[in-house]
Amino acid sequence: MKPMITVHQLSKSFRLPQPAPEGPFRGLRTLMSRQYTEKEAVRGVSFSIASGEFVGYIGPNGAGKSTTIKMLSGILHPTAGEVQIDGLNPHRDRRRVARRLGVLFGQRTQLWWDLPVRDSYDILAAMYGIETDRKDARITELADLLQLGEFMDTPVRKLSLGQRMRADLAAALLHDPDVLFLDEPTIGLDVVAKRSIREYLHSINVELGKTVLLTTHDMDDIEQLCSRVIVINRGTIGFDGTIDELRRRIGLPTLIRVTYRQTPVLSSTGLASYDDSSLRVTEIDGHTVTAECNREAISAMDALRLLEQYGEIEDVHMEEPHFEDVIHNLY
Amino acid sequence: MLFYVLARKTYVRNLQYRGAHLINTIASSLFGFIYMSIWAAIATDQPLGEYGSAGIVSYVAFNQCSLWVAAFLTNGLGIEQSVRTGGIALELMRPTHLFYQLMCKEWGQIAYQFVYKFLPIYALYAVVLPMYMPHSLKTWLATAVALLLAGYISICINYLIGATALWTTESRWLFWVNYAFNSLLSGFLIPLEWLPKPLAFIAHWSSYPSLNYIPTRIYLGLSSPSTLVRSVAWAVFLTICCLGLTKLMRRKVEVQGG
Amino acid sequence: MMNGLRMYGLLFRASIRSRMQYRFNFWFSSVMLAVISIVEFLLLAIVLLKFGHIKGWSLAEAGWLFSVLSLSRALYRTVANDVHNIESYLVSGELDGLLLRPIPVLSALMSRNVSFRFGEVFQGIGILAVSMSTLMREGQIGWLSIPLTVFVILSGAVLLFAIGLITATAGFWLTRITELQNITEDAARTAVQYPMSIYPRWLQGILVGIIPVGFANYMPGLFVLRGDTGWWMLPLTACIAGALFILALFVWRFGLSRYQSTGS
Repeated sequence: MKPMITVHQLSKSFRLPQPAPEGPFRGLRTLMSRQYTEKEAVRGVSFSIASGEFVGYIGPNGAGKSTTIKMLSGILHPTAGEVQIDGLNPHRDRRRVARRLGVLFGQRTQLWWDLPVRDSYDILAAMYGIETDRKDARITELADLLQLGEFMDTPVRKLSLGQRMRADLAAALLHDPDVLFLDEPTIGLDVVAKRSIREYLHSINVELGKTVLLTTHDMDDIEQLCSRVIVINRGTIGFDGTIDELRRRIGLPTLIRVTYRQTPVLSSTGLASYDDSSLRVTEIDGHTVTAECNREAISAMDALRLLEQYGEIEDVHMEEPHFEDVIHNLY
Repeated sequence: MLFYVLARKTYVRNLQYRGAHLINTIASSLFGFIYMSIWAAIATDQPLGEYGSAGIVSYVAFNQCSLWVAAFLTNGLGIEQSVRTGGIALELMRPTHLFYQLMCKEWGQIAYQFVYKFLPIYALYAVVLPMYMPHSLKTWLATAVALLLAGYISICINYLIGATALWTTESRWLFWVNYAFNSLLSGFLIPLEWLPKPLAFIAHWSSYPSLNYIPTRIYLGLSSPSTLVRSVAWAVFLTICCLGLTKLMRRKVEVQGG
Repeated sequence: MMNGLRMYGLLFRASIRSRMQYRFNFWFSSVMLAVISIVEFLLLAIVLLKFGHIKGWSLAEAGWLFSVLSLSRALYRTVANDVHNIESYLVSGELDGLLLRPIPVLSALMSRNVSFRFGEVFQGIGILAVSMSTLMREGQIGWLSIPLTVFVILSGAVLLFAIGLITATAGFWLTRITELQNITEDAARTAVQYPMSIYPRWLQGILVGIIPVGFANYMPGLFVLRGDTGWWMLPLTACIAGALFILALFVWRFGLSRYQSTGS
């Protein structure tokens, strides 16, 4: 398939003026000084995203996520390297690229604060030069998909955060862009609203066939939506692949908590046949034993069979590693 | 003690922006030159009463400096902002009276502006203009008292303006309207006796002359310090108004639940 | 271009509607703005009523200078209000949102907020009407001065816009520009509210040569009101406004590309 987004050896460094030493007129002297410190926010990042993919772009704060997104959308110009959005260069062709992009910032709205939602769409339609018929059809379609009907005529400032996010999402989709950049689309939402936004995002990707690049700190977003994850850390890409690959690569253990009928007798020979990393007892508390198990090396059944050697098992509880912890390990 | 802590905090907070304020000070001194030029142009054709052409320049120059003590205070003492953020309920709940808290902070602001705006502009004018300087210590002292009273009256007025934010969201306009009236009725540009009769009458019965006209005339030695009685009376009256209004604010906040 | 105008119409109506959501506040602030600018004029009017004239400028003439400037400014601020408010866009990072639109950033910025200045417009038209009818009765100016005055107001609006835009562009380097605006916009404009001949030479030089607000009212006024200078003053005025505007656009583009490569 033809790639929708191509990023090749993308770098961005900022020159920060070095603050002048303490003393009178410090601010003025800083402004005049020629001493800079170079800060590399993004270093040699390359990836390619095919049409219709749903990709999570994650990393800790200050890793270079938003700098990358800004370069992809033409807000910032790269120091080196190249970006292509559907064959166009956002640096040279900002306005043409803008027509193919829909961008959502969860942190701030792009709608007109004091106007009814509908009016914001009218203004945006005029900006993108959408004819009235097409605009009306498009708004009906989006209102249907995102259920905007009930607050279409309410001023944006009176919407709940969840409603506002849906309205913003529709604004990003109004001009029918091929590519969507979503920056923290679920930030600050409650559990119910988060779930519904995720459902909408899923159908935007599947039904409307949009290519989506999602940055977020909410790992549930990533786990439930993305077929592929790109992890950026300290300006370089640390991982690029599927979620399962990511899990495997980190190899976080499954926790098995076994409760025995009697106090278990731990012999030193029991687990010796296995390598330390595959199954390891970490805690003994009365009748309960907790063990860590590496599923790559040993199956759950085998692990239980081993643990049965300590006594008759009454109850078993298994805990898969949290995705959040997986990511944490990667940073 | 609280007074010192609050005032000092405001003063120090302002120190960070000295650089930006420097440009502000230049702009302010330019405004002063504009107003002086008006009088200088008129004085070429006619005598200007008891002021004389040199006196009127000193009059306008001193008023321009005094603005930083008596007019450019924090917009409504910042009450509008704390109403918008909802912080007002908290501030009203504190064990210290709201008026006292805000007044202490504002004195810090005034002190900063006196040092970094009033004094530099005054010094500049003293160098480039034929600026009148009082000869007796008594006049200097009386001027200082007059400026303190002007600052205090201005704090009270701003408190009253800020408090209206609890009832209307547009209280910041009152700040600008107050400023406009101030420039007309305080004798800032035109000495009160030259105002048309009706305006002079209104000005005479308002608190505005205490902000510019009275201090500057004392500074120029044209009025005796006894004219300060009016300023003191206004200070007392406005204090009572502020305290009374705070009661109303408290009730309003209680009814709304913040 | 057609599309641009259509969008502007849309925004204009939308802005009225959004301001009307706070109906009381809208009228209240309009009246207050009018009161403020009337008081500003009153200060000058009182001086002139008392002393007759200022460096040979009568009250009616000074009123013309004052109101032409207010109208130009009202026009500029109506069309491009947020150019003046760029600082908040830079501080909050909202400017990035404008860079995502398929239209020039300046248009996007201008279309963000259209503010009406009814107060200033009514005040300006009122004072202008009184001043000009007085001057006409005295036979100092004729009917021709009406279209000339409109021309001066429009060219003045372009000039003030250009000065505002250049100041705003400084924000790409300085971020905080309120203090700078205080000089280039507020102080300079206040200065030319009064007949410029009252100022010392150096100040006149600044107001004509460096921050050329003098061309918004005083310089063309010399010709329109008094027939001083020649008819060439009007084309010169328009040329200066136009040239400064082109320069401003150029500087703006340079500043914006700097913003895009530094992100500060």
